Amino acid sequence: MLQAVMLIVAQTIVLLAVSPFIVGLIRKVKARLQCRRGASAFQPYADLAKLFRKQPVVSDTTSWIFTATPYILFASTLAAGLLVPVFVSQTPLNFAGNIIALVYLLALGTFFLILAGLDAGSAFGGMGSSREAIVASLTEPAMILSIFAIALTAGSTNLSTIVHKTALLEGIVTDPSPHLMAFAALFIVALAETGRVPVDNPATHLELTMIHEAMVLEYSGRYLALVEWAAGLKLLVFLTLIVNIFAPWGIATSLAPGALGLGLAVYLVKVSGLAVVIGVIESMFAKLRLFRVTDLLGVAFILALLALVFFYVLRG
Amino acid sequence: MMLLLAAVLVCYAAGTLLPPCLPGRPKLQNYLAHGLACAAGLLGIALGVAGLVAPEPLTASIASTIPFLSFAIRLDPLAAFFVLTISLVGLAASIYAFGYVTEFYGRCSLGALGSLFNGFLLSMTLVVMADNGFFFLIAWELMSLLSYFLVVTEHEKAEVRYAGFFYLIMTHVGTAFIILTFLIFFQNTGSFSFDVFRHPNTPLPQGLRTFAFFAALIGFGTKAGIVPLHVWLPYAHPAAPSHISALMSGVMIKTAIYALIRVYFDFLGGQFPWWWGFLVLVIGAVSALLGVMYALMEHDLKSLLAFHSVENIGIILLGIGAGMIFQTYGLKEFAALGLLAGLYHTINHAVFKALLFLGAGSLLYATHTRNMEEYGGLLRRMPWTGFFFLVGAVSISALPPTNGFVSEWLVFQSLFLSFHIPSIFLKLMLPLAAAMLALTSVLALACFAKAFGISFLALPRSSHARHAGEVPVSMRVGMALLAVVCVALGIAPMVVVPLLDRVIAPLAGVSIADKVIALDGWALAPVNVEFSSLSSPVLALLLVALSLLGLGLVAAFGGLAKTRHYKTWGCGINLTPRMEYTATGFVQPIKRVFSTIYQPTVKLEAELLEESKYFAKRQRFEFHIEPVFQKYLYDPVVDFFLAMADRLRVIQAGNLHLYLTYIFVTLIVLLLIAM
Amino acid sequence: MSLLSQQFGSQMVNLGSALLLLTCFAIVAQRRLSACVDLFALQSVLLAATAALVAFLTGIHHIYIAAALTVVIKAVLIPRILKQVVERLNVTRELVMNVNVPASLLICGGLVMLAFFITQPIIPLGFLLTRDSLAIALAIILIGFFTMIARKKAVTQVIGFLVMENGLFLGATSAAYGMPLIVEIGVFFDVLVGALIIGIYTHRLQDAFDSVDTTKLTTLKE
Repeated sequence: MLQAVMLIVAQTIVLLAVSPFIVGLIRKVKARLQCRRGASAFQPYADLAKLFRKQPVVSDTTSWIFTATPYILFASTLAAGLLVPVFVSQTPLNFAGNIIALVYLLALGTFFLILAGLDAGSAFGGMGSSREAIVASLTEPAMILSIFAIALTAGSTNLSTIVHKTALLEGIVTDPSPHLMAFAALFIVALAETGRVPVDNPATHLELTMIHEAMVLEYSGRYLALVEWAAGLKLLVFLTLIVNIFAPWGIATSLAPGALGLGLAVYLVKVSGLAVVIGVIESMFAKLRLFRVTDLLGVAFILALLALVFFYVLRG
Repeated sequence: MMLLLAAVLVCYAAGTLLPPCLPGRPKLQNYLAHGLACAAGLLGIALGVAGLVAPEPLTASIASTIPFLSFAIRLDPLAAFFVLTISLVGLAASIYAFGYVTEFYGRCSLGALGSLFNGFLLSMTLVVMADNGFFFLIAWELMSLLSYFLVVTEHEKAEVRYAGFFYLIMTHVGTAFIILTFLIFFQNTGSFSFDVFRHPNTPLPQGLRTFAFFAALIGFGTKAGIVPLHVWLPYAHPAAPSHISALMSGVMIKTAIYALIRVYFDFLGGQFPWWWGFLVLVIGAVSALLGVMYALMEHDLKSLLAFHSVENIGIILLGIGAGMIFQTYGLKEFAALGLLAGLYHTINHAVFKALLFLGAGSLLYATHTRNMEEYGGLLRRMPWTGFFFLVGAVSISALPPTNGFVSEWLVFQSLFLSFHIPSIFLKLMLPLAAAMLALTSVLALACFAKAFGISFLALPRSSHARHAGEVPVSMRVGMALLAVVCVALGIAPMVVVPLLDRVIAPLAGVSIADKVIALDGWALAPVNVEFSSLSSPVLALLLVALSLLGLGLVAAFGGLAKTRHYKTWGCGINLTPRMEYTATGFVQPIKRVFSTIYQPTVKLEAELLEESKYFAKRQRFEFHIEPVFQKYLYDPVVDFFLAMADRLRVIQAGNLHLYLTYIFVTLIVLLLIAM
Repeated sequence: MSLLSQQFGSQMVNLGSALLLLTCFAIVAQRRLSACVDLFALQSVLLAATAALVAFLTGIHHIYIAAALTVVIKAVLIPRILKQVVERLNVTRELVMNVNVPASLLICGGLVMLAFFITQPIIPLGFLLTRDSLAIALAIILIGFFTMIARKKAVTQVIGFLVMENGLFLGATSAAYGMPLIVEIGVFFDVLVGALIIGIYTHRLQDAFDSVDTTKLTTLKE
């Protein structure tokens, strides 16, 4: 019991501590690819610290939903993060929810964020909320199908079980084709869900293009800090999900201190690597028009469907 | 238990008969009718629970002089579960009604309203308890008629009369098919007793079984509102007074689910070819998706909720359809899981949909309009109603840790377990249904973000909303009751699942309670803890704890400095309600992406200034979505019948002697045939 | 060959075929004409690699030659011709289609499933190594055909045709470990000449109608 609590606490700390770095790292990579020096990868920590100390300004028109949302968003995203194995393959909270629970926990945050976007009454917030609603709707089917394809290969929808089995290469189907397609689908879904290029541009403040930034436009001070942190967490949760499901090797499969240390180090390297990839992709592609996003998410859905077909048909 | 049963029926009957005896005293009629309904609701809950845990089903029967009819009642766990659901929602609706019907003082007879309300509840209770086909049909017809009268309570409005008429026709088409279903069984067994249906001497031939399957699907499907038989529902449900809408959407359509389970799993013995289950699954998936899609485009709050009933019936049928498919392949545990998911969603939907309709009723009470575009800023004016509506919205969007999430999660699990089915076609189709369910549930999320966000947040959009105030205590209590149940059903599935298991075990032939409840009741594990598990109480605790952690982090890093309140930035001008995003604007991207389904027609007229074509004096925007089913399915049928009627008009001459001749000729022909 | 490595080889062939299928979907989802051509070239390279893998695993050498021809003709020559055509055109992307992109994707997904269902009964009769690729080959042929229906521009229609040809080649390789070399070479020659003719035809179309939209051809009937 004590061990479980300690693992949960450790995982919380790792997620909270690493997420701003990942955001900073992506920005740094983009800056370097644009031949700028860019701010340090640790800049987001300073930003958060500053935001926490600033006095928040809250609109007169808002209700309690507006001030409660950052906390709900933060809690739901972090809760989703605690269901994902991070550096130990067997998380203590494995029993609390499988991959569907993770999806719906993230949806809880999205729901309140959409409400908060509408609460201030400005057209920007409404626009962001409206767009978030359509992007979220279109990503979900692809996400559920790709998740299911992965679940089939490991014979479980519980994340720890999937990761643990894959890490030990026992009791799973090793055919690369379904994995490859599910990976591609989930990667597109991750880009869409976390508001990255080519679906949304986290660096933009142009009303025609923004989605997530428009929803949180009215936030300031500590509320903005929590929202930003939660956004970083969501990104990290998706990266963790992808690296640990498709390449769990190096993750600690036992609770020996050496394995834990190695697991943590390997985890940091893996998520940093994936963050660099995202940075490169953001530099290579332009943001899609909102109504072209359907094409991209259609591809993700088909990839997930193909993963399923391949799993069943090629295995006879 | 017998006593409880009698008490429930007596309370409802008294509530039906007494109020009209006190004409001209609306207040007393109100208290009497709804007080008796409350009492019956409480007793009904007790009866439902007692029926669920009782080892043997309770039976009672009064013979009648009419052949084949006996007033037989049988309270097995399946019936008890629905009695519980009806009573629970009935209790909340009657508490709510104390305050809500004050609106109708002087406008319509409270005696009639209260009496019909009780009669409606009584007839629904009898429908699920009836153990005789004839009796069932009487109760069913009573339920349909009483709900029709309730729909046309505000009959001075033309659209209400139209809704009522449409409802009456559709429900009778449905009833015809239900009679057909029972006649098929009757023809085989020679009796209308359900017990004989269950254990016929000679089994029904396969052809007739298929016939019965379709007749039941169409007949009960009409009442349940499955696509494409759903068209009446979005008219009829919103037209009734809100507490009646809550009953209709919350529980009346569930009686159809009850009847479907009764016919398929009980009378037909759970033996079916795979395509029955597949058809139910497809209907479920299509109903769910189309229901939510049409709901998104609806800006009349009550119509929006009515379309969501179509969606949720779809979700329930997804669970039941999956159960039927598993049953075909002898995977009894999974079949039980599918039914469990379907029934769990049945009670959940009853609770949160009733809650939402009561919330919509409160908005109507406070603002006198159902148009969402005229709401806004109501959370500050009606904090309690707003909070309860939010609970309902979170539940119906299937967000953790509420009840909608738990049951939808179970539906997902039963669809995912499809990899055990030998047929590769079904192996691929069930996950696709899961993908459609995923799309449905996120669209529902978007829809309720719209419904709550546009109605309750930001600035009031009209003077109605500006002058709205909180509703009376009794209405708040009714909503609070359902809100509490919503959360309770969400975080305590370990209490609900064993009760549901008692319903399912006789139908699926296997008990799965000890398998589904894992880890000392802390987690749900659909059949196998290795495959999937969910612990909603832990998730709820986690959410609370982590919210507190967020608060703690704020306190630690910067302190809870005083907030400055200021105007929303409106690009330099003062923010007015006209600048807010509207409900129409909110769903515009969705309308555009799914334009194949909506087939929208948009009309934009601008009256331009003479000086410059870049400035408009006035602009008119109009948009409609094509009611596809009405246009391509119903209108041709109606046209056909009208054309036929035109042809038949020749025999209508208005001459009395001619009519007497018709009767005479008919009599002669009948006599000849009888020879 | 041990059973394990045979299984591994089979998985690799499947992976190659799967990637081929993915490039088909990429072509369906891609609106830019030059990118479609690039994707076709990529598909041809993948096809050659898969064929070479089959040649390596089975030791049938003439498949190597077919693979090499694939690279030369379909990955280098034909894309170059098509690129020239695209450069001469005044359009770079296809904005209006007969079937829009998301719907096309869904239909193609359905076609893949259809292909799998159709080949179900014959798959167990094939060679262990490549039998699963037959279904994928059929799927590629169907998608290529569908592309020709769904698109309006002559260039993308040509690509659809070539994708079909790639599917046929994959099918031949997987069902029969390749056709006789002489047939193979004949087919390559045909395809090359076909591509050349279509290239010239597209130029004529461009000159005559100032567009490569093949729906304009309906005006010829008078």
